[in-house]
Amino acid sequence: MKSLEQLTDSVFYIMAALTEPRHGYAVMNLVEETTNGQVVIGPASLYTIIKKLLNEQLISLHDDTDSRRKVYVLTEKGRDILRVDIKRRKIMVELAEKGLERRWE
Amino acid sequence: MAQTKYLMSNGLAFSEQRDMETLRKKALKGWHLKGFRFMGYELEYGEPEDVIYSIDYRVLAPDEEAEYFDMFSSAGWTHVCSEYNTHIFKATPGTAPIYSDIESKKEKIERLAEPVKWIVPFLVGMTFVFWLLFTFSSGVVESISRWIFFFFLVLTIPALMTLFATYYHRWKKL
Repeated sequence: MKSLEQLTDSVFYIMAALTEPRHGYAVMNLVEETTNGQVVIGPASLYTIIKKLLNEQLISLHDDTDSRRKVYVLTEKGRDILRVDIKRRKIMVELAEKGLERRWE
Repeated sequence: MAQTKYLMSNGLAFSEQRDMETLRKKALKGWHLKGFRFMGYELEYGEPEDVIYSIDYRVLAPDEEAEYFDMFSSAGWTHVCSEYNTHIFKATPGTAPIYSDIESKKEKIERLAEPVKWIVPFLVGMTFVFWLLFTFSSGVVESISRWIFFFFLVLTIPALMTLFATYYHRWKKL
């Protein structure tokens, strides 16, 4: 995530899950359940990405009373960046959908 | 007294995958990873077990440890042992890998290279200084600096090889 313009899929999933306060394990579970097990975020990837999002101030520590399960949530900056990336992804999907709708023969 | 034995590492920067495979084969024969030993591992004898091993590199502050290890255990990875920034986990075969995306995996290799990156310039510099000293001196100074030169040379070569291996993996493996 050297540039924030384009979020990787994993970063996108984690940020989407952190629109509400959640701890790491809850993020992992939510992503796995919503995608019917198609996307499983590994613990090392999850930890790396959470640290990076904290560093970039896209998420903040919401509650650390349980040191094993620290709770994070998106910051305003994080919400803005997520919105921009949603737009980018929508354009991508629309292009494909419209293309499939039009028959070229 | 539990029976233990030593297993030499092939060098994690060179063949992490091979080390993890070897540990798996040993566990199938009942020899389980217990901890790190000088340039290798200590194994302990017990019941044969079908497990896979994974390694991660990360310097953890004391207040980060609980969360880090909890994420792994929640995902089915049992912490086996740690030394400085190196942590080994085991899981039943079929457990989802600890790294699921390429970007994070790349950064793992960068973290592995981190300590080496600092040591290499120091070792190369010292080797060069003592090479100069024994080349352009005579008598006692020459023989002492010659020994110190060889001492640093012996350390510099594997350190350089490790550094190059981490660069190689960063571009080749991923």
